[in-house]
Amino acid sequence: MAAAAGLMRSGTLLPRLAASVLLLAAWQALALSGLLFRDVVPPLGALAAGLWGVLADPGFWGNALVTGGELAAALAIGGALGIAAGLVFGASAFIAAALERWMTWLAPTPKIILFPVLILFCGVGPGSKIAMGAVSCFFPVLLSTAAAVRGVDPVLLRVARSFRARADQILVKVYLPAAVAPMLNGVRLGFGVALIGVLLAETKLSNQGVGFLVMQAYARFDMPRMYGLLIVVVCFAAAINVAIGHAARRAAAGPIAREN
Amino acid sequence: MLSVAGLTKRFGSQADGVTAVDDVSFDIRPGEFVSVIGPSGCGKSTLFNIIAGLQTPTSGQVSVEGQPVRGPHPAVGTVFQEESCFPWRTVIDNVAFPLELAGLAKAQRHEQAKQFIDMVGLRGFERRMPSELSGGMRQRVCIARTLAAKPRLLLMDEPFAALDEQTRLLLGDKVLQIQQELRQTTLLITHSITEAVQLSDRVLVMTYRPGRLKRFVTIELPRPRSGDAVTSPAFGAAVASLWADLREEASRGMQEAGG
Amino acid sequence: MRQTAAPLLGIGLVVSLVLLLQWAIGVGLVDEYTVPRPSEIAAALPRLVTEEHVASRFMVTVGETFAAGALATLVGTALGAALYRWPLMRRSFEPWVAVLAAAPLVLAYPLFLVLFGRSSLTVVVIAFASALPPVVLQTVTGFAAVRPVLLAVGRSLGMGRAAEFRRILLPAALPSVFTGLRLALMFGLINVVGVEFLINLGGLGALINDLSERYDLPGTWAAIGVVVLVSVCFFATLDGGERWLRRRG
Repeated sequence: MAAAAGLMRSGTLLPRLAASVLLLAAWQALALSGLLFRDVVPPLGALAAGLWGVLADPGFWGNALVTGGELAAALAIGGALGIAAGLVFGASAFIAAALERWMTWLAPTPKIILFPVLILFCGVGPGSKIAMGAVSCFFPVLLSTAAAVRGVDPVLLRVARSFRARADQILVKVYLPAAVAPMLNGVRLGFGVALIGVLLAETKLSNQGVGFLVMQAYARFDMPRMYGLLIVVVCFAAAINVAIGHAARRAAAGPIAREN
Repeated sequence: MLSVAGLTKRFGSQADGVTAVDDVSFDIRPGEFVSVIGPSGCGKSTLFNIIAGLQTPTSGQVSVEGQPVRGPHPAVGTVFQEESCFPWRTVIDNVAFPLELAGLAKAQRHEQAKQFIDMVGLRGFERRMPSELSGGMRQRVCIARTLAAKPRLLLMDEPFAALDEQTRLLLGDKVLQIQQELRQTTLLITHSITEAVQLSDRVLVMTYRPGRLKRFVTIELPRPRSGDAVTSPAFGAAVASLWADLREEASRGMQEAGG
Repeated sequence: MRQTAAPLLGIGLVVSLVLLLQWAIGVGLVDEYTVPRPSEIAAALPRLVTEEHVASRFMVTVGETFAAGALATLVGTALGAALYRWPLMRRSFEPWVAVLAAAPLVLAYPLFLVLFGRSSLTVVVIAFASALPPVVLQTVTGFAAVRPVLLAVGRSLGMGRAAEFRRILLPAALPSVFTGLRLALMFGLINVVGVEFLINLGGLGALINDLSERYDLPGTWAAIGVVVLVSVCFFATLDGGERWLRRRG
């Protein structure tokens, strides 16, 4: 309710409504015009049916669970390794100087090309998909964790030293809580690329998961179903993104953040 | 209580280095409140960092209760100039931090922390986050946190520098109150003469770089010092005399900076 | 001393790992059917050049990347400037663009295949679509970050909107625009190579896919190595270029 009220007050309701209507109308016009090959741009009714077909299909949810599981495992592995490595990079100036540049340049490299090798290591099942996702999210998590550790306010470290805190106490009681917010942003980026990695791997070689369903729909030329799948994936990605973004903002409960 | 002997700190190589602190020696007796004043760049902060055990001197020695200082001494508590509350901890968890490091149980350390929160006048704010407090209140939390460790020597480096004039005066009063209640040995670094005279038993004047002891002045104003003391003629005289010393050093500083 | 020692250590680490691998495979610690000997991988490289036309494939990939990147920069900067110019539009649609930037658009590649057929065009379009939202966001942020006082100076001198844009806004936001170009090229390369791999069409990405489907293990590893090397050089150059530009103000 509050969100709706805010929407109306900020004046964005009208433009968004207008844009949505225009886009939908243009879509429908294109669909019915016959300009494009049948069903490549399905009429809105067919689109809705496709979406509903996806959501109502227990087979979809079974496959979604598979993808979700692969994604969770990928984030756990890639995330844990990325955080551990990031802590090391952030704490040791020497290691950072030696390796961080390479990491920055390796980070944007397309990871999907590693897929054939990952299949060799992890087989054709979920293992290779998890590995794909883990490799993808390792880099953004590493880089943002390292930056987070380096960004800890030095005066807080001096306070801990002045109280003669041990190294492990400083790590757990100062570094970790101070770095949580930027680290969460790294996790948000990591989530995005892990999702892409897992899904693309599934489209390439799999017999289960949402990526597989997309290829299946493509093979049968069931465009409405493919659109339905894509819409669900995009909504899922957007929702998780927003959730992690909120968590990151709340964790950044510093004086500066709040005063804004 | 505190003994500083022949303390020297040089930065950089022999030839073109900077001598921040040059052969400074003084003692502080238990229960005394000593202020160090001097122009910007006179090495006050360096002196502070060395006594706090966060930096090592080039030569000379610092002893607390007879023991030489090598790293942060357990009997010394420090309050820094910058904002140093942990933003993710509540007020009470901030204040209880040294007790947590020492391994006290939660109930115990919260109980002890409450005493010090009361002492700085923040009763009722225990569960608040630092972001909900004003700058002055946050600095009070930092002071309470340092006091919670029950240091026998309290070091403060321009703790009110980031605050406006009125808050500064009020906090100064508060610190005075606490010091008189606890009979706390305190060393305060400040560039405010009125603050130094208001709070201290003795004032140490430092020269501009290289920082040496210029004068050690005893403030003869009676204790306990109230708000009235600030307006007494004796106060004005003390301030004027210190200002004469300081002005000389401050203008040397400005000349060198090309201002 | 430390300045040069550290990066050298990085390179030294990689070299020693490669040598260690060579040894480990030789003694059977690592299965040579999973990881071919580095020497074999290196031996496959000349083959890539002569038989697999690595050079022409490289040109295809680079061409597609620059096409997608340039297009995304042009369109993205224009859209970003428009969003900035009309604050209501910005408030309404910037969140939508942010959702698009986070969404796995490349997953829709089968759709684009149907729309545009199996051609270079598909690859470029997908890369363009994936690169567009981040460029728009970057442009808007860049314009918004121009210090208001600079605009106030312009207004106090009686500058009109167009002049304000040309003489103050654009020059001040130029570093952000170049960052946008870098982002466009970055997302462009990732998506171009990725889609080439997935649909087995065109340049270096397709090469890897080809070799892996032929079970040419050393060749696959060598091709992956080449692409990683090309990527690393590409991004290092972009990185350096941007830093050089920023230093020139």
